[in-house]
Amino acid sequence: MEQMLLALFTVVVGVLGCIAYFVGSNFILDVIYPATGNKATQNIQRSTAIRPWLFMGPAIILLVVYLVYPVINSVWLSFHGPSGKEFVGIDNYVWLFGDAKFLESFFNNMMWLIVVPAASTFFGLIAATLTDRIRWGNIAKSLIFMPMAISFIGASIIWKFVYDYRGDSDDQIGILNALMVHFGAEPQAWIAMPFWNSFFLMVILIWIQTGFAMVILSAALRGIPEETIEAAILDGANPFQVFMKIKMPQMWGTVAVVWTTITILVLKVFDIVMAMTNGQWGSQVLANYMFDWMFRGHDFGRSATIALVIMVLVLPVMVWNVRNLKNEN
Amino acid sequence: MKLTAYLTAATIALTANVAIAETDLKFTPGEDARFNWASYEALKSVDLKGETISVFGPWLGADKALLENVVAYFEKATGAVVKYSGSDSFEAQIVIDTEAGSAPNVAVFPQPGLAADLAKKGKLTPLAAGTADWVRENYAAGQSWVDLGTYKNAEGKEDLYGFFYKADVKSLVWYSPENFEDAGYEIPKSMEELITLSDKIVADGGTPWCIGLGSGGATGWVATDWVEDMMLRTQSPDVYDKWVKNQVKFDDPKVLAAIDAYGDFARNDKYVSGGAGTVATTDFRDSPKGLFSSPPKCYMHRQASFIPAFFPEGTVVGEDADFFYFPAYAAKDLGKPVLGGGTLFAITNESKGAHAFVEFLKTPIAHELWMAQEGFLTPHKGVNQDAYASESLKGMGEILLNATTFRFDASDLMPGAIGAGAFWTGMVDYSGGKSAKEVGAQIQKTWDTIK
Amino acid sequence: MDSIVGKNSALTWAVNISVVVLVLLWTIPTFGLLVSSVRDKDQLVSSGWWTSFSSVERNLIKRSAPASEQSQTDDIYLLKGNVFGEEVGVITAFGWNSKAPTAFTPGDTVQMRKGKELQINADGSYLLTSPIPFTSKKGSRLFVTSVEAPIFTLDNYSEVLFAEGIGKSFLNTMTVTIPATIIPILIAAFAAYALAWMEFPGRAIMLAMVVGLLVVPLQMSLIPLLRLYTDVGIGKGYLGIWLAHTGFGLPLAIYLLRNYIAGLPREVIESARVDGANDFVIFVKIILPLSFPALASFAIFQFLWVWNDLLIATVFLGNNEEELVMTGRLREMLGSRGGNWEILTASAFVSIFVPLMVFFSLQKYLVRGLLSGSVKGG
Repeated sequence: MEQMLLALFTVVVGVLGCIAYFVGSNFILDVIYPATGNKATQNIQRSTAIRPWLFMGPAIILLVVYLVYPVINSVWLSFHGPSGKEFVGIDNYVWLFGDAKFLESFFNNMMWLIVVPAASTFFGLIAATLTDRIRWGNIAKSLIFMPMAISFIGASIIWKFVYDYRGDSDDQIGILNALMVHFGAEPQAWIAMPFWNSFFLMVILIWIQTGFAMVILSAALRGIPEETIEAAILDGANPFQVFMKIKMPQMWGTVAVVWTTITILVLKVFDIVMAMTNGQWGSQVLANYMFDWMFRGHDFGRSATIALVIMVLVLPVMVWNVRNLKNEN
Repeated sequence: MKLTAYLTAATIALTANVAIAETDLKFTPGEDARFNWASYEALKSVDLKGETISVFGPWLGADKALLENVVAYFEKATGAVVKYSGSDSFEAQIVIDTEAGSAPNVAVFPQPGLAADLAKKGKLTPLAAGTADWVRENYAAGQSWVDLGTYKNAEGKEDLYGFFYKADVKSLVWYSPENFEDAGYEIPKSMEELITLSDKIVADGGTPWCIGLGSGGATGWVATDWVEDMMLRTQSPDVYDKWVKNQVKFDDPKVLAAIDAYGDFARNDKYVSGGAGTVATTDFRDSPKGLFSSPPKCYMHRQASFIPAFFPEGTVVGEDADFFYFPAYAAKDLGKPVLGGGTLFAITNESKGAHAFVEFLKTPIAHELWMAQEGFLTPHKGVNQDAYASESLKGMGEILLNATTFRFDASDLMPGAIGAGAFWTGMVDYSGGKSAKEVGAQIQKTWDTIK
Repeated sequence: MDSIVGKNSALTWAVNISVVVLVLLWTIPTFGLLVSSVRDKDQLVSSGWWTSFSSVERNLIKRSAPASEQSQTDDIYLLKGNVFGEEVGVITAFGWNSKAPTAFTPGDTVQMRKGKELQINADGSYLLTSPIPFTSKKGSRLFVTSVEAPIFTLDNYSEVLFAEGIGKSFLNTMTVTIPATIIPILIAAFAAYALAWMEFPGRAIMLAMVVGLLVVPLQMSLIPLLRLYTDVGIGKGYLGIWLAHTGFGLPLAIYLLRNYIAGLPREVIESARVDGANDFVIFVKIILPLSFPALASFAIFQFLWVWNDLLIATVFLGNNEEELVMTGRLREMLGSRGGNWEILTASAFVSIFVPLMVFFSLQKYLVRGLLSGSVKGG
């Protein structure tokens, strides 16, 4: 009871505080540089120059404290030894590129980067397009979205009932192996098959992320003005042509956003790998490997170095997004 | 109105918490002659009113309740408040907390290796002077327990940081006595007999072993225990110690032989329930259940003393299930080596209460209270062995006390990157078909890069 | 649009069937979990969930009554009872030895060791006879094969839902989740608008920074931040965890919202500017209502992440009994009862219930808000 009041109170205070900041700061700006009087033009120019920073102020502060500062800290750590005290130069980097497990993680991560965003976006686009055309579309959407709502712990349990493997003599309780047995094949230890197991793990993330892609893409689809679509249909375009010629060009921006978001999520993925294999059987990925060196190897230098590699991998995506921004203008 | 009612209830709850009656304790002080109540009475001279001691460890659920039952006596006698919290990601959490300066007063480490790492970073406080002497005197094989808790700090100075409380015996083989009786099998007295028995079970159409390495993020540790037991049974303790320190390399033929000795069991399709292919993916918590199925999927399961917690509901240890010592080779003169583990308490945030708490763990009553519950073994020589809750616990306690050689779980002593990393991965790869030579070389390579 | 597609019924069929296939693929794994979560715990681990509606044959090990309950007729000692106890079942085979647990058919009388004889009938009743007194305190083992009807039970759920402290954990999670969902959205919306529609030097760099920060692995931030909290005096608590979730959620919030806001029609904003409205007015009066769908969808995502988070909660809130969040409580249950699949399955469902409700209740805004908004704005 008491805690509910506290929660309610803080929600109100927090939210009101936020609102008060934005309203108040803009009000003050308007008072200092009123858009009227003899200096109106100059004042408008000044307030236009200042206002963006008022809008972005809280975001910038939070980003700097929560993300920029840790990144700088990581860069510094990557040149230091296990305890973060002794300077070791580029030793950590030298170690990294000679480490077999790192190369394995890097290779796996590359596969993840190609497969998961592509598949999730593809299925998300199909789901968004098709469900918009049928009467029970919203129910279908909710069902496809459902995996998003499941925690990684939950997801790993769900997929246990898919990939579970038991010896030939027992009843299989994993559905995949039950199907194998049903069709007369040998049951397989799916998550223990080197190379292929990575794909079985990717399926889980695709299963989760398709809902995300679908929701965002479906919003974009609905944002396309109906007049243009109707005009095209009156011109005799079939639904497929409408999709390819009218809808897709307007959706590229959103597809890019979805792709970027999932790419970044893939770079950070470690829950699934940790819960299902912990990187055994050659399925290691960078984020989990970093986690291993941090909390099992207790070498902050090495884990920071791996973290920086993850961050470097996102550079192409960053460049691409900035170029998109320039094109917009 | 409602609010006042809540407040009153809260106040009552608070005051009730302060005044735990002695009769609310699990065993009423003074009543049961098995317990050393004198040591409890002596504790009352320590006044810690107003002190709060935070304790953080890996125990959850049932284990947490057992510890809290013990701690209640400390709280009652001294007036201190002990807040225990547990996490299954203890290893990560304690690293974060000590680094960030938000550490608990006392931490319970399942692995000495982790404690040693933290000591080296200057995050632990040495235990009170004289503790080492006390352990040497009062623990069976006291010196080895002192050595296991002694680490170098940031300046390279050695001190005793860890106090061991609660031990495990790992060299145990679990079986169903009735299944043995039905099939007419005898408990093997030597490794040779164990292998003969395994072959006999195969010849009779059965499967001797259930082995499962699966453990989520820690998959593989079960196999490291097997290899360690095999090391102790094929090499002298001295070689084992050197192996832990990497003076005997991981790709040394002696180590490779121990790995292959494990492989003789786990990679033999006829020996393992479900076939060798299922070993790495079967969860260690599920694997002992095969002992109790009808017909039995396997006859034997090598696992530490904690495993009965994962037996099917209603299984009574000593009746439905029992254990025997994982025997040594008769042909090798290595005595009766015992592999074990244990948890150590260390001070991560010094306070008067923290030292008093470690002091409390030395008292016989602190050991007896947990012995009388379940799942607790102790090398403490001054406790009443009759306090053990069951004959089987007592039996395990005796294995611990009578071991000619007692060695601590090597993977817990090795650096984390090996003992909780490359060694696990290596064993999973080995179970999947890689050769011992390849696996040993791979682990050694990782070890070579550690500073 | 329905009417247009409706003209081509073959296409409608194709669309419907494709969606059915897609939905099936996506729901079967979860459905398996749902079915598993209401199954009996022994059946759960011994047969696949898809067989749960058919009866299963299982080999069980039961015990006879202990020696203390034996009776004597002439020189024969007797033990009788029913292997099912109070319950009802059907026996299809039995045995007295683990080597041959299914050797005999119900109704047979078979020889055991030392002159003992055993008879088990199909209804589970048994009769053990012996020329010498029984001695076993726990009774002899009786091996039976019984046909079990499928058992469905809500026990798994009641065990999870009525676990000690779960209500407290639920409140904790709520206290963490609600502010940690609303605050970042508010802050991000302003920043997103600035990045989308305001002219200022360094805009491209700012955007690049936001994208770059998306990828910072959380684990790298934990130690420096907790150290900062300790130094500043925030310590572990709700304020710290809200700020942390806000900070970690911001890049994605800004990125997604900026993309949406940038896609709004330029004319709307330009015309408002011509009318003399400043950016604050434009944002509050035009942008916010128009971007409601985007705000709602991000709200769902942020809510889900915070709700399902375990790492940040354990680091910034702690593991004490009073502070545990739902995910932490479930982990605790799993930790202490590892291997109990019935707890795992039920708790997984308990934990997804609230997020699903949030999704369903916000879903209609996703659709309606956008359409009505664009009509008004246009």
